Formats: sequence, structure tokens, C-alpha cells
Amino acid sequence: MSMEAKANENFFIYEVFSQKNVSASFVHQFSLLAPNEEVALTMARENFLRREPCFNLWVVKRDHIHGLPPEERPFLERLDNKSYRETKGYGDLQARWRHHKEQYEEQQKHAGNGS
Amino acid sequence: MQTQIERFDMTEDEKMEAFLARIDRGEKMEADDWMPDDYRNQLIKLISMHGMSEIMGALPEKEWVPKAPTLRRKLAIMAKVQDEMGHGQLLLRVAEDLIAPLGKTREDMMQDLFTGRLKFHNVFHMEAPTWADAGVIGWLVDGAAIITQSMSLDTSYAPYARALHRICAEEKFHAQHGESIVLELAEGTAEQRQMLQESITRWWPSLLMFFGPPENGNITSNQASNMRYRIRSQTNEELRQIFLKKYLPRVFHLGFTVPDDTIYFDEAEDKWVYQQPDWEEFKQIVKGNGPRSAHRLNLREMSYEETKWVRDAIMSFGRRVG
Amino acid sequence: MGDIVRVQTVEHAKQNPQYAQALADLLFQLADDDFILAYRGSEWLGLAPHIEEDVAFSSMSQDMMGHAVMCYQMLEDLGLGKADDLAQLREAVTFRNAILVERKNGAGEYNDNPHYDWAYAIVRSYVYGLHKQVRLEALLQSSYEPLALISRKMLTEHRYHLMHWQVWLKQLANSTPEARHKLEAAITKVWEDAGELSSLGQNAEHIVRFGLIAGEELLRQKWLSNMKDIFQKAGLSWPGEPGVPGEKGRAGEHTADLVQALATLSEVYRMDPAAKW
Repeated sequence: MSMEAKANENFFIYEVFSQKNVSASFVHQFSLLAPNEEVALTMARENFLRREPCFNLWVVKRDHIHGLPPEERPFLERLDNKSYRETKGYGDLQARWRHHKEQYEEQQKHAGNGS
Repeated sequence: MQTQIERFDMTEDEKMEAFLARIDRGEKMEADDWMPDDYRNQLIKLISMHGMSEIMGALPEKEWVPKAPTLRRKLAIMAKVQDEMGHGQLLLRVAEDLIAPLGKTREDMMQDLFTGRLKFHNVFHMEAPTWADAGVIGWLVDGAAIITQSMSLDTSYAPYARALHRICAEEKFHAQHGESIVLELAEGTAEQRQMLQESITRWWPSLLMFFGPPENGNITSNQASNMRYRIRSQTNEELRQIFLKKYLPRVFHLGFTVPDDTIYFDEAEDKWVYQQPDWEEFKQIVKGNGPRSAHRLNLREMSYEETKWVRDAIMSFGRRVG
Repeated sequence: MGDIVRVQTVEHAKQNPQYAQALADLLFQLADDDFILAYRGSEWLGLAPHIEEDVAFSSMSQDMMGHAVMCYQMLEDLGLGKADDLAQLREAVTFRNAILVERKNGAGEYNDNPHYDWAYAIVRSYVYGLHKQVRLEALLQSSYEPLALISRKMLTEHRYHLMHWQVWLKQLANSTPEARHKLEAAITKVWEDAGELSSLGQNAEHIVRFGLIAGEELLRQKWLSNMKDIFQKAGLSWPGEPGVPGEKGRAGEHTADLVQALATLSEVYRMDPAAKW
């Protein structure tokens, strides 16, 4: 088999993303081989979304996706010590509001009875 | 938490040690992670065989697509065959990403299939001469595949696991479709029951062989390294026992038999004791000498060759448009 | 044309035997067209040029078979028999599909040395698809409301089919000389039969008079106009007026190809139509 013939079989890898409904984010599905993006788009839904709703669709050539090589992925790790910017860092607020409310209602009751 | 290998100062031995440590910690590998050659090669062998089995498996089922006896069955079987090819597509993509660093593509895998270098599961080399076979394939062959796939969900190679998750979701329907056909036949006329019994009898050896030879205490080096690398976690015999425990009772509940008078369940050992199939025959089948091997490979090869002009054409369109 | 009665239920349809007959005649055309072409599509399973395309193509065969089932179901509701029987126990002479859809995919059988022609698959699917689009759009105005309803459903799925075949037609037409040549040969072959598609059969007059669908000539002109447009966009030369086959498929004259197809489709069911499968 000639090199030319071999090259023709090398379709591009396209990554497929889909959106379930208008409020949802695009989600990665899987990859397929296609000669160009038009063909990739015609095949995407049937290959990966047979049983799921598909509101919108993207195909991206894998070459155009930039990620981190394995040795750099550890950079993504984070310490879990930042409760100051998460709701779990403020878990006492509700109880405190409730306390003030109860105190106030208690006062109102006594004021009513007193007079 | 994932740790990485491939610092320039690491020797091959150190990389291997770090890799095994990752495996032992239950970490999952991606396509671009460092991996020893034999890990890569085992995966390629396993996943491409799995993928091609799905592709080739579509062919015996396809025989029954137009002939399915009701409109609903025709639709269901079309959906099943579509799923099988879809599963093949997912697995081939995983295999393709593993062979890419070796300079190989899907075209190479197709050629390996046609030359017999790339094998596919024994069951898909076998005849499916009646409608009952379509049911038995969905019920028992897919049933066997589900057992193997379920084990593999925890594989150390992440892309394979992700493909398997998608596959397992659809396999449930396949099993139910098969059961539905089988139950209808089992509850049907005398002729239907006879058709089903003959089918079960016919498929029995292939089903036993599906899981591969028992180890008898001597695990092959292949299996050993697959288990060391957590590519798989159970032996052939363990998987086969799971299959027998699940399905043999059901075969008997329907009033059918398997062609093995000696078969019995050993309570003490908690396993089915059965007559071994002919493992030499198994080797021959997987080599491509099964009853339908040549026919089905020929179908694939001829159509692939005759449609080459199509692939050339759309590739050329892509290049011109840029 | 006079007032077209709006028929909302099958009971209402059955009140006028002539109306019911015209409706049945039309439904058989719709059902048989899609049933047989879906069968031809399913013969391509595992043989398509590219794995991802095989998966996509099989979706369309499924959809199309589903459309046929909707129509057979409607015929069952009209009291003409069980849908499974209508699809599988009728002889070729009662089928009302156009000859174009019963033609084989190429030499050989799907399980015995198939030498199928992808160019023919594309052109036939697309030319039929364009006719189906025009037909379904016309059916949205059908006097038989249940039919208008299922036509809307079919259109939803059919949009994808058309888009799919259009991409293939366009790309193959503008790629290699070999593809171009094969495509043109396929067009010639399809053209021999395509003219029959818009025929409404021997009961056409009643079908149209009852407002079940627009007239043949109107459908035909819309279809030709759409096709001319597509051919031009794809850079293909217009082959002129489509021909009609020797056999009148819409009148029950069929080829050995259909007889063989029906034998395959009904092989298991005929073993025992009374049994549960």
C-alpha cells in the first residue's frame, strides 16, 4: 500500500460536545474520526446521543484543544482551606438570625403582657 | 490525588516503580501518561480485540434484522446492531489513541483484522441459523459480555473505563431485548420451544469458551500481568462461574437443558462443575477457522475495499475546502 | 374543489367508505415506501464506508422503519388488519411503494457477496428524501387530522435525514473525479425510476378530492424545483426530466426484487403468524 493511500485513511479526530437543553452547559461526549467538520457534525448526534436529548452540538478538532501534559496536571491541585469563600464557612449565620428573631418575639410578647 | 512520572532524572526502573506505585494506589492512567511498553501493548491487544468483536458481532445479528418476526422486533434489533457498532466505535477510538504514538491508525487495525492478526471473540465466528439464535445472542452472549465489562469498569486505564461506562448503560437494553425474545419463545408453541432448545444446545460450547480457558492454578503470564496492572481483576474461571451462577438456573427454570449430562453445582466448593469444551477448537476458531469466520471477514473486507473511493473522496473534499 | 371535510377521528373516516378507501390507499403508499427503503437501508449495516457513518446511517433506517410502523398502525386503526400482518403477510401485488425504493442496493445479497453502491445509496436516499419532504409538508394540511399529526412528527426526524444526505451529495460531487463519475452514474440510474415517486396511484382522483393531500402535479413541481436547487448548489448538472419504470409500483406491479425482499422480511413471521414473537 502506498503512503498516499495510507494518508487518505487518516481522518481527523474530532471531540464532540453537546448541550442537553438551553440552560445546560456544553458537556464533552467522546471523539470520532471524520474527514472534516461538516461530516463530523452529521455523525455526532447518532454516535453519542442516541438516547439523550441534544439541544446543541459542537465539534472541535482535537489538534485545537490545548490541555496540560501529565507532569503539569498536579498544578491544578488546591488546598481545601478556603472556607472564607464558600458557604460552608458561614454556617453559623442562620442560627444567629434565628436567635435574634426569637429574642425580639419574646420581647414583643412581654411588652404586650406588661401594659 | 494523582502523582506523575517522567522527570528527566528518572531511570527506566524508577519510572516503572513509580508507575506500579500509582497502579497500587488505585490511580487511573490517561492516554498521555507514561506507561511501560507491555502495559500499552496489553491494552492495545485487549481493547482492539474488544472493539473489533463489537464490529464483527454486528454481522450475525444483522442477519436477523430484516427477518425479525414483528415490526417492534425489527426496530429493536436495528437499535441493538446500531449500538454494537457504536460500541465498536468507542473502543476503536480508545485503541487508536494508544497506537497513535506507534505511528498506527484505524486503517492499520482494519488491515490487521483482515489478515487475522487482530482477533475477535469466538462467539462471533459462530452460526446464527434461526430466530432463536437472535434471542440467545441477546440473552446469553450479551449476558456474558456484560459480566466481563462490569469487571472491567474498574480498569486502571481511564479512557477504557469511560468507554465501558457508556457501553454498560446500553447493554442493559440488549439483555432485556434478548430476554424478551427468549421468554416469548419459551412461553410459546412447541415449535418455538424446540427452536429455542436447539439454539441453547448449539451455543453452549461457545458460551463456555467465551471467557477463555480455565487456569487450573496456572495463570498465564498475560493474565498475570493484566491483573498486576489492574487492567482486569478477575480470572477467566471466576468470570465464567459468575455467568453460570446467573444463567444456568434460568435455563433450567424454563425447562431447557444444556448438552452436558455431568453438570452439577458443588455446594461445598460453591461452583458449577461442568465438562470442559474443546479448547483446541477454541484456538482454531479465534484464529479465524470458525464456521463463519471467513464469510464474515470477507463481508467486511470486500465492503471496506469497495468503499475506499468514498473515504478518498471525502478526505479530498476536506483538503480542498481546508 | 368544494369544501374539504376535516376528519378528526378514525370513526368519522369510516363513516364514508370512499373516504376510508382513499385514505387507506394513500397510507399504503406512505407505509410501503418507508418500509421497503428502510429494509434496503438495513442491508447496509456493517458495510458502510466508515464506522461512524454506519452508526449514523442505521439511525435513519430505524427512523424510517418507525415512520412505516406509524402508518401501518393507522391502517390497523382503520380496520384493515394487524400492523404486523399488513407489513409481513401481504403479497407483492398489494404493495404500493414506488419501484425506486425496492431496487437492490447493488449486486449480490446482504449476506452473500454484496457489492453495494454507496453512490446509489446516497442519490436514491436523497431523491426519495426530497420527495418525502414535499409529501410530508403537504400532509400537514391533510383533511385527515391524525395523518397531519404524524406527518409533523415524521418531519421532525426527517430534517436530519435530508441534512445528512445533502452533506454526502455535496462532498462527493466536489471531491475526486472518480466520486463525481460514480455519482453521475448513480443519478442516471435513479432517474430511470424517480418520476414515479410523486404518483398517487390509481385512486389519485379521490385521494386529492377528499383533501387528503395536494395534487400530484403540485407535489411533483415542488420536488423538481427543490432538486434543481440542490443539484445547482452541489455543482451537479441537471439530468432533465426523470423517467418512470416499466412497472407501476403504485398500482401493484412490482419486480422480483420486491418479492425477494418480502420473503426475507416475512420469513420468520410466516412460520406462525398466530404465535407470539
